[in-house]
Amino acid sequence: MSLALSSAPLREKRAGRWPVAVLAAGATVVAIVAMAAIAPLVAPYDPLDQDLLALNQAPDAAHWLGTDHIGRDVLSRLLVGTRTTLTIGFGGAAVALAIGGGLGLVALALGRLTETLLFGAVDLIRAIPPILLALLLVVALGAGAGPVAIALGLSYAPFFAYVARAAWHREMAQDYVTAARTFGGGPLHVLRLHVLPNLAGALITQAAIVLPRCIVTESVLSFLGLGSSPDAPTWGRMVADASRTIEIAPHAIVAPVIAIVVLTTSLSVIGDDLRRRFDPLRHARATPPEVEP
Amino acid sequence: MIEPTEPLLSVEALSVEAPHGPLVRGVSFTVGRGRTLALVGESGSGKSLTALATLGLLPPGLTVGSGTRARFDGRALPLGDEPAMRSLRGRRIAIVFQDPMACLNPFMRVGVQIGESLQRAGVPRGTARRDRTLALLREVELADPAFARRYPHELSGGQQQRVMIAMALAGAPDLLIADEPTSALDTSVQAEVARLLARLQEHRGMAMLFITHDLALAHRLADDIAVMRAGEIVETGPVARVLSSPRLPYTERLVSARRRLLSPPPAAPAIGDEDAPLLAVENLAVDYPGRGLFAAPVRALAGASFTLARGRTLGVLGESGSGKSTLAAAIAGLRRPAAGRIRLPGCTLTPERPTIPPARRRACQLVFQNPAGALNPRLTIAQLAGEPLRLSGVGRTAAREKSAEALAAVGLDPAVLDRYPHQLSGGQRQRVCIARALLCDPQILVCDEAVSALDATVQMQILVLLKELQHRHRFAMLFVGHDPEVVRWIADEVVVVHGGRIVDRCAAADLDGDGRHPHTRSLLAARFDRAAA
Amino acid sequence: MSRLATDTLAAVALRLAKMLLQAAAIVVLVFLLVRVVPGDTVDVLAAQGDLTEAQQQAMRHELGLDRSAGAQLVAWSAAALSGDFGQSIRFHRPVADMLATALPTTLTFASLSFAVGIVIAFTIAIAAVTSGTGKAVALVDAVNIWSIAFPTFCVGVLGILIVSVWLGWLPVLGSMVLPVVIIGIDNAGQIVKPLHEELREATAAAHVRTARAKGLHPIRVVVVHLLPTALPIALTLSGLVLAGLVAGTLTMEVLFGLPGIGSLLLNAIHGRDYPVVQAAIAVIVVALVAINAATDILHRLIDPRVSA
Repeated sequence: MSLALSSAPLREKRAGRWPVAVLAAGATVVAIVAMAAIAPLVAPYDPLDQDLLALNQAPDAAHWLGTDHIGRDVLSRLLVGTRTTLTIGFGGAAVALAIGGGLGLVALALGRLTETLLFGAVDLIRAIPPILLALLLVVALGAGAGPVAIALGLSYAPFFAYVARAAWHREMAQDYVTAARTFGGGPLHVLRLHVLPNLAGALITQAAIVLPRCIVTESVLSFLGLGSSPDAPTWGRMVADASRTIEIAPHAIVAPVIAIVVLTTSLSVIGDDLRRRFDPLRHARATPPEVEP
Repeated sequence: MIEPTEPLLSVEALSVEAPHGPLVRGVSFTVGRGRTLALVGESGSGKSLTALATLGLLPPGLTVGSGTRARFDGRALPLGDEPAMRSLRGRRIAIVFQDPMACLNPFMRVGVQIGESLQRAGVPRGTARRDRTLALLREVELADPAFARRYPHELSGGQQQRVMIAMALAGAPDLLIADEPTSALDTSVQAEVARLLARLQEHRGMAMLFITHDLALAHRLADDIAVMRAGEIVETGPVARVLSSPRLPYTERLVSARRRLLSPPPAAPAIGDEDAPLLAVENLAVDYPGRGLFAAPVRALAGASFTLARGRTLGVLGESGSGKSTLAAAIAGLRRPAAGRIRLPGCTLTPERPTIPPARRRACQLVFQNPAGALNPRLTIAQLAGEPLRLSGVGRTAAREKSAEALAAVGLDPAVLDRYPHQLSGGQRQRVCIARALLCDPQILVCDEAVSALDATVQMQILVLLKELQHRHRFAMLFVGHDPEVVRWIADEVVVVHGGRIVDRCAAADLDGDGRHPHTRSLLAARFDRAAA
Repeated sequence: MSRLATDTLAAVALRLAKMLLQAAAIVVLVFLLVRVVPGDTVDVLAAQGDLTEAQQQAMRHELGLDRSAGAQLVAWSAAALSGDFGQSIRFHRPVADMLATALPTTLTFASLSFAVGIVIAFTIAIAAVTSGTGKAVALVDAVNIWSIAFPTFCVGVLGILIVSVWLGWLPVLGSMVLPVVIIGIDNAGQIVKPLHEELREATAAAHVRTARAKGLHPIRVVVVHLLPTALPIALTLSGLVLAGLVAGTLTMEVLFGLPGIGSLLLNAIHGRDYPVVQAAIAVIVVALVAINAATDILHRLIDPRVSA
């Protein structure tokens, strides 16, 4: 029995360059966003039009991706659904960033009391998983892209507040912040030069991580019948609809599933790369310092 | 006694390869039976890697080069063969590392951890092993059997290191490797642990490979010495010869850095004693908030009083946790006094008025222990050095020019202005910090362990720089440190802090004179044979 | 020693108090959110059958819906504490009975998936740090990327498609095998990377090096010195998995037709059966809060340093 008890040396990715995977993911996301922008122009059919003479049709020349159980063109629904899916995903991440990061920062800047109050309250409801909170909020706020984005944003906001707090305290404890104070630098100077740039990196990274989660959570909600309204289809809703007729129209489910997988994977790859780029220790790791003369 | 025919351990042409190049090159040395070889060098010289390579314990990603040959006790040392090396470790070759707190398993009682080593040495479970555990603890001067039942975090640093030594002795090794065994300990216990190692080595007749950056310690413990620099052994020989007449310039510099500390600094220009003190600390106390919601505050410093005049240096000597850094922070206006007062140029800090008015802030500047932490890694040296100037409204180009001048004054090429802190060496970073502090034109400079993170040769350069700058700018300096020789060299007067109180005060020259407080004596005891080194 | 024990006891008591506070806060929040929903139970019933205005009023009075939200909350909480969660509006059965029927399915499903996930994650992570080859490390990445890229409901749908429709292996619906495997792998993927990183750091830790320097057998080094170091993080990660299980349970129960709390909750949401919605969420959340508290307390008991 021989256990070497050592891991293979970590391949340190060269920061600064763009790895191929990240470039590919970026290109994919750009393509999907572009598709969302021009979807109504290029979609061959109205995504809501039901062709009752062509139910559950397999892909052919007229319907490249086939039709669903009530005769709607899958390709058109997929293209138009891109827009709603992205709106809700980006909207949710933006709302979470604004509410979680914004409130967190205000509470931190105002002092210990507000910090204790806000984070005490967040701590109390932290045990609710985002999916459950989002589900409740959607029930309370109603269907549609706007309410769903707000529900997702509220559900993921605590993540941003915690990230803001961690980065804030890490920065405030740095010797360079202390030094700035001894130079006579006021709170605004310290915030502007030292704290906010480092905080921004942490928050952007968190947004990149939360964005694909918002999209998945929205799909799950739609899949459970709680997401967007029926007249603005999302990919999740397409999966849900098609799952009922999976035996006779399997093609209708494959396309939206692949779309969701490609989008979330691309966003995750980008998020992972951002996390590495904004790593506060990256500089120190990238190049070795000079040897003492 | 068997006449030794060959050294216990001989290593030839040892190299340690990393993915981006060798870290140790062509290192050869021998350790005779019952002898001690000191491997000395500054941080990054490859001395610890050499020891780990000898044990087959290199970190992942590092490998021993193919040209390496090593023999141990008359046989080839099976460096590449993990099971064979494992059977040697603990039984024939044992090691004591630097940081005992991190080296002991936090989840296991120390008696059990020693028992593990005894099990390896074939001591059967039960009474025999328990008795041997207690005997080993007694051998490292932990006589109370209760120690065996403690967890590592319930022991002091010195006690933890004694447990590590007991564990190393459990297999009755022929060779003990000690990798900076006292560096992580408080000054006052360093001497005891070093003495213990010396006594055990003699008593058991072990050979020892002693790795250290401290020449005085090497002189005290070793028969032979090998000096390492940048992965190579640059000089080797009997310890007395190498230290008294070093052959190479690098060894000379290393030795003289220490020796210079022992000779007085260049005489300061005469200063009128009639100067009123710039800084007066009266009966100062500082509290820290207690742990937990309703815990009472912890008094970190109490009853501190002293004065400091223009152009003079007060040394504050103490161990970690003694309250010396709290004192420095309070004087810089960063900690609220709980009682007493601090008179600074132009303002007085009291519990009621704990902040320095913005206009007076710059009169007192800080130099930190870790210069890397004091420089925001995202900014260039130009932005960092110019920060105080820009704050006082100096334009960008003017600030850059003045920064370049200030950097030149501390011996830095203005070309560093466009670099980032991580591209500079530790000594260069500390020079940037000092230049930046001086751009505030301070009347008081507080140096909090300002040279502790630096290598010996660099340490001396920074100390000399501080002294020169003080002569030129005539600021008062509060120099906080744990190394009595460093503090004595730079200070005119010294106060010794222990347990949050000033327990001793004297002129720097009298620090090892008669009538000192017992704690002062224990701090100084760590320095053996200072005349020799 | 006794002082230590008292300290630990006090800390445990404090943690339990926090747990109760958390549970109460969440139950109140859920109660209020459900009240915000436009239209109440009676509206739902009125839409289904013919109810006169007077009948509706009488019904509201009977259900207590005409009282203030605060009063309703107090009444509901008091009853819930004694195990009475009210009546289902659609099924006219006590909610407590419905929960009791659904709970075993969910508990079985959740614990099986949890166990599968933990076993997979630990096996791969330990293999990756001990084998020294790149293959196990690649497996860590693969499982991690799998869980990021493939949302469980997509995998579930494709699973049904492949196993049931294309391969014709029946029955898939009503069986737990496929969903447990899907959620298990997903759970593993969420924690395997941080777990591996933690273990890799721990292998480089000084006390593990000491254990190797003592010449201990590698298996002993891993089991006695390496794994305990990773326990706190493993507990934290397990907590994460449990939270993730909620999403997995909801979707898998719906997709595979498992009659658990998730199915119950969703059916209740669609049928606006608010007493059931409220009770189901309360049960899920109280369970999560309790598990969180348990992991914290366990951490405290395992690590001798925490009580210092």
